[in-house]
Amino acid sequence: MLEISNLNKSFKRKFALDAVSLKIPKGEIYGLLGPNGAGKTTLIRIVNQIISADSGKILFDGQLMSSEHLRSIGYLPEERGLYKNMYVLEHLVFLAKLRGLSSSDALKNSKFWLDKLAISEWSNKKIEALSKGMAQKVQFIASLVHNPDLLILDEPLSGFDPVNVELILKELKELKANGKTILLSTHNMRSVEEICDRATLIHDAKILVEDTVWNLREKSKKGTYSIRFKGNMIAFVNALWTDFELLEQTEIGEQRFLTLVKMRGERSMNDLLNALMGEISIEAIEECFPSMQEVFIELIQGKENSDEK
Amino acid sequence: MRNSWIIALRELKERVLNPAFLWMLFIGPLLLLSCLYFLFKAGDEGKTSLRVLIADPSGMMENKIVSQETKAVEYYFFDDYLELEEFRDNRKYQKFDALIEVNEKILINKKAFVFYRETPSLDVKMQLKFQLERRVEEVMIDEFTNMEVDDFRQIKQALNVDFRNVYDPKNEASNLEGWVGFIFGLLIVVFVFLFGLTVLRSTAREKSNRIVEVLLASVKPIQLMLGKISGIGLAAVIQILVWSLFITFGLLFFRATIFPDLLDFSNYEGVQMSSEVKEQLLSNIPSQRYNEFIDLVYKRIDFTFFLFHFFLFFIATYFFYAAFFSAIGAMSGSESDGQQFLIPLLCILGLSVYSGYYAIYFPDAELTSCLQFIPFTSSVIVMVKLAQGYPEGTYYLVWLSLITLILFTVLLLLIAGRIYRNGILHFGLKASLRNLFYFMRK
Repeated sequence: MLEISNLNKSFKRKFALDAVSLKIPKGEIYGLLGPNGAGKTTLIRIVNQIISADSGKILFDGQLMSSEHLRSIGYLPEERGLYKNMYVLEHLVFLAKLRGLSSSDALKNSKFWLDKLAISEWSNKKIEALSKGMAQKVQFIASLVHNPDLLILDEPLSGFDPVNVELILKELKELKANGKTILLSTHNMRSVEEICDRATLIHDAKILVEDTVWNLREKSKKGTYSIRFKGNMIAFVNALWTDFELLEQTEIGEQRFLTLVKMRGERSMNDLLNALMGEISIEAIEECFPSMQEVFIELIQGKENSDEK
Repeated sequence: MRNSWIIALRELKERVLNPAFLWMLFIGPLLLLSCLYFLFKAGDEGKTSLRVLIADPSGMMENKIVSQETKAVEYYFFDDYLELEEFRDNRKYQKFDALIEVNEKILINKKAFVFYRETPSLDVKMQLKFQLERRVEEVMIDEFTNMEVDDFRQIKQALNVDFRNVYDPKNEASNLEGWVGFIFGLLIVVFVFLFGLTVLRSTAREKSNRIVEVLLASVKPIQLMLGKISGIGLAAVIQILVWSLFITFGLLFFRATIFPDLLDFSNYEGVQMSSEVKEQLLSNIPSQRYNEFIDLVYKRIDFTFFLFHFFLFFIATYFFYAAFFSAIGAMSGSESDGQQFLIPLLCILGLSVYSGYYAIYFPDAELTSCLQFIPFTSSVIVMVKLAQGYPEGTYYLVWLSLITLILFTVLLLLIAGRIYRNGILHFGLKASLRNLFYFMRK
C-alpha cells in the first residue's frame, strides 16, 4: 500500500529522518513506535504531504505519491484541533468536502459515523460544548469520513476512557476487516499487541527494527515458562535440579503455586514436563513472551547502551 | 481551487453569522446616517416661520415687499420709527417675531439689521435675506440709476478671477471631488486594516489550536492562505456593499423627505441669490458644505464608474496587505504575538492616507504620478484622481496602476505563501524579523 524509500529530512542541520525505508502492506495495521522526538510525526507529516522530504520517495499503491492520493488518506494528528464555534455535523461535512466528497456524500457519511460512534445526538451541538473525549471521537470520525484506503492515526487512543478505547480498537479492527490499511503511531503498547500486524521502531531518526508484532516479541523472549501447580514446593525445586532455574514463586493457595522457570542450556518444554511429571500436579504451563512494552524498552535501552560504547 | 473556495465559504460564514458583524452591518451605516442627520439638522434648527414687522417711516418698501411673499415669512408694516426696546417689551408687538428697520441709512451703509426674539432657522434666514436684498436693490436702482432692474443685475456682478488648470479648462475637477475620492481611499485603507487584522488573528488562532495540521493534510498551504484571505475579503465586500446601499438610500431619503429644501437654491420662490451671498453662506455655515457634499455625491460624481474602480482597487489592495497579515499570523506563536509588526504596517497605511491628501492639492505633481504606481499608495491616489477626473487621454494610467498593483500583489502572495508554508507548522516560535527571513529563504 505504502512504500517509503530512503527518506531524509532535517531541520536546521538536525536529522529528523535518516534514510528511513519501510513497506506497509495493504489491509494491515502497522504500528509506528518510537520514543518522543524520534521522527514519527515528521514521517507522518511527509506522508500526508504537509511538509516535504529533503530526499527519498514514497509510493502509494505502486504510484509515486502525489496530492491526488491525499483523498485516499485519512489523518488524525496527535495535536487535535477543531473550530470551536462550528457545529459537529457542519464541521465533519466541511472536512469531508476538503477531502473531495460532494456535499451530499459528506453529509451522508458524517451522519453514518456519528450514528456508529453513538454521538448523533450531538450533531447540532457546537464543538466548544463537547467534552474532550467527545471531541476526540469527532476528530476520529473526521479522519475516516471520506472512506480512505489508508488511515494514519497519531495517538488515536489518548484522551479516551477505557470504554471508548475498546470502542475505537473495535472500529479499527473492523476497518482492517474491510480491507483498510492503518498506520498507527502510539505509545499505547497494549493496543499494538492487540491490533497491530506489524510494527517498526524508530529511534534517533532511524529505523531500529521492523517486523511482525509476533516476531518482535518472539525475538525478545528469554526462554521462561510460567507454571501453575498443586503440590510440594521442595519437590518442585528438586525436580528442576540443575537443568532449570526457578526465577519467581508465588503461593496462590494451600499447596498451590505460580512459578516462573527459565531453561538452561538446550532444554525444551518437553524436558521440563518430563522432569516435573510425577512430582507435582501441573495445572497450567505457558511459555512467557515479553510484552511490546518490554520489547520497546529493551530495544531502546539496548540501542542507547551500544551508542554509549 | 475547490478547496480554497470551501475554506473561503467557511470563513465567510463564520464572519457573516457572527452577531458583531451582523450588528455592524446595520448599526454602522445607521450611526453614520444619524451623524449626518444631526449635522444637517443642526444647520436647519430654529424657528421655521417668522412674522416680521418692518418699521418703514419713509414708506420705502411700500409696494415693494408684499405681506406673504413666501409661506415661511409674513411681513407686516409700521409706518413710523420704532425703538428696539419698545418692540422688545411692548405687549402689542409681542406677536411679531422679528423687527427690521428700513430707512435711508440702508441705502448709504448697505447694512440692515434684523432683530429677532428667537433664532430663525437657516431656511427662514435665507428667505428673508434674499427677499430683503432683492427689494432694497430694486429701491436703490430706482433711486440712484435710470437703469432697468434686469440690466442692473446684469452688470452688477463683480469680476471673478478664477485660476484654472490648462488641462482642465472647464474646472471639472475640484478639491471637493478630490475629497470624495479621498474618503473612498480612506475607506479602502480602513477596511483593509480591519479585515487584514482579522486575517492575522484567524491565522494565528488556527495555528495555536492546531486545526491547521488537519487542514494542511487536505489542502496546500497556499490554497489555505488564499481561501482564508478570500473568505474574509468577501465578508469585507459584503459589508462595504451593504453600507454603501444603506448610506445611499439614507442620503436619498434625507434629500427627498427630511431636508428637501436645504441648499436647493431653486426652491426659493422668486429669489435670485447673488454669487457673493452664496459664497458667503457656504463659507460661514458648515452644514451647507455638508449638503453641497450630498449634492456633489449625487450629481457630480459618476458613481457607477467610480464604484467599479473602487471595488477593483479595494480587492487588489486588500489581497496585497492581507498577504502581509497572513504571513505575520503564520509566524506568530499566539494571536497577540504579531502585534509588533502592526506598527510598521500602520505607518505604511498612514502614509498611503497622507499621499491621498497630498494628491488632492497637487494632483499633477510628479510625486503624485509616482505614488499612483506604488502598491502601498496607489489605491488612495487613484481614488482621488478618479474623483477629480483624469485628463483626457490619460485614463489608461488607472489600468496601468491597477496592473502594477496586481503584479505586486501576486509577487507578495507568493512570498507570503512561502512564509506561511514554513511558519504555520513551527510551533513555539515568535514572530520576528529573523524568523521572517528564515522562512522566506527556506
